[in-house]
Amino acid sequence: MITWWCVALEKPWTWSWIPYPGIWIATMLPIAGYLVAVRRHPGPTDRRRLALFLGGMAAFWVASDWPLGALGAGYLASAHMLQFLLYTLVAAPLILLGTPEWLASRLTTRLRIEKAVSWLGRSPVTCAVIYNVILLATHAPATVEVLRRSQIGSFAMDILWLVAGMILWLPVRSPLPEGRVGSVWVRMSYLFLATGIVAIIPASLLTFTTNPVYAIYELAPRVGALSAREDQQIAGILMKLATIPVVWTTIGIMWFRFARQEEARA
Amino acid sequence: MRLRQVLVISGMTLAACAGGINDGRLQGTVIEDPQPNPAFVLTDTRGEPYDFAARTEGKLTLLYFGYTNCPDICPVHLAQIAEVLEQYPRLERETAVVFVSVDPQRDTPEVLRGFLDNFSTRFVGLTGSPEELGAAQVAADVPPATITGQGPDYTVDHAGWVIAYAPDGLGHAIYPFGTRQSVWSNDLQTLATITGESG
Repeated sequence: MITWWCVALEKPWTWSWIPYPGIWIATMLPIAGYLVAVRRHPGPTDRRRLALFLGGMAAFWVASDWPLGALGAGYLASAHMLQFLLYTLVAAPLILLGTPEWLASRLTTRLRIEKAVSWLGRSPVTCAVIYNVILLATHAPATVEVLRRSQIGSFAMDILWLVAGMILWLPVRSPLPEGRVGSVWVRMSYLFLATGIVAIIPASLLTFTTNPVYAIYELAPRVGALSAREDQQIAGILMKLATIPVVWTTIGIMWFRFARQEEARA
Repeated sequence: MRLRQVLVISGMTLAACAGGINDGRLQGTVIEDPQPNPAFVLTDTRGEPYDFAARTEGKLTLLYFGYTNCPDICPVHLAQIAEVLEQYPRLERETAVVFVSVDPQRDTPEVLRGFLDNFSTRFVGLTGSPEELGAAQVAADVPPATITGQGPDYTVDHAGWVIAYAPDGLGHAIYPFGTRQSVWSNDLQTLATITGESG
C-alpha cells in the first residue's frame, strides 16, 4: 500500500528509504505552475526570484519528505521541531521572496483572497496572533498525538505550518507591495515580537520538564542513543534558539537597507 | 475565587508535567490481590544461577518477560524504565530490573547482556531452558510465550507488561506497553515506600 505523506509508523526506525509520492506531487505542482506562469509572462525571467522560489520549495520538500518528515512524524520531537522551523523560517519567506508581484496578484485575484492578503500584510498584530495561535495549537501534545497518527492529519499539520510561516512573513515581505507594513521600525519590531515572545512558553516547557510531553515520541522506538527526554530538550532549545539567526539577520538587512536609503536621501 | 482556582489548577498541571507531584497513589494497573515474588531459579548473564525470590527480597523489583529481537515493545519498555531511573540515582541503586528472555534459542547470555547494556548495565538478564522459562512464567502468573512464524526471523508472542514488586515482597501493579514516564516516575517512588513495616 502506498503511503502518500509521512506519518507515525509504529515500527523501529531504519535508514531504509521510503517513497512518499504525495510529497513529491505537493512539491512539483507549485514548481510546474510557477515555471509555466513565468514562461507565459512577457519579459525576461527574473532568475534571482526563480532561485529564491525554488529554494523555498526545496526547503518544503526537505522538511516534508524522508528522512526528516518521517522522523518528525513518528520518532523524534527534535525532528518535528526542525520541520516546523524549516517551514516557517526558510520555506515560507523564500517562497514569498521568490513570487513576483504580478504572479501574486494574479493568484490571489483568482483565489479571491487579494483583499484579505493585502489586509493581513498591513495588520502585523493580526498576523502575530494567527502565527502564535498556530504555533501553540500545533505544538500542543493532544494535537501532535492526533494529527501525526494519520496521513491526512500529518499533511494538514505540515501545510498549516507553511501557511503560518507565510502569514508571519507577510507584513515584512508580502509580494503585494500594498499589502506590506510601510515603516521599517514597525517591521523590525514586529518580527522580533512575533517570533520571540510566545515561543518561549512551549520552548521552556519542552526544555525544562522532567518527563516527556509528547506520547507519540516518548513511546516510539528510540533512534540511536537519544533518550526521549534528551530529544525533547533538543526540540525546546531549537525552538528557542533557531529563530535568532534568521530573525536577527533579517532585522539587520532591513536596518542596513533603511540606513542606506536614508544616506542616499541625505 | 475563580482566578485563584485557575492559578492553582495551572500550577498543578505544570508541576505534574515537570514530574513534581507524587500523590502516593499508584497510576499503573493495581493488582487487587497482591501476589508474592514468584519463586524460580534461572541463569544470569554471567552464567550463574539467579534465585529470583531470594535475590530480590526487600527490593523494589520490576520483572519483565521479553526477548532481544523484539522490534518495539521490549526496547521501549526498557528505555522508559532506564530513563526514569536515571533521574533518581538512589532509587536506581535500590531497584532490581529483571528481564527474563523467553527466546532461549537466540538469547544467549552474551546476546542478552549486550542488549541490556544498551539501556543499563544494572539490568539483570535471565535465561534458562524452555522448561525452566515456562515454569518461571507460570510462577509469575503471565501467559507462556509462544513462537510465531518460521525461519530465523520468527517472532515471540509474550506478555507485554512489567510486573512491579514492592520491597514488601508483593506484586502491587502491572504496567502495559504505553506506560508514560510520568506514571513510572510517580509509581516507582510510591512503590519504593511500600515496605513490610508500612504495609
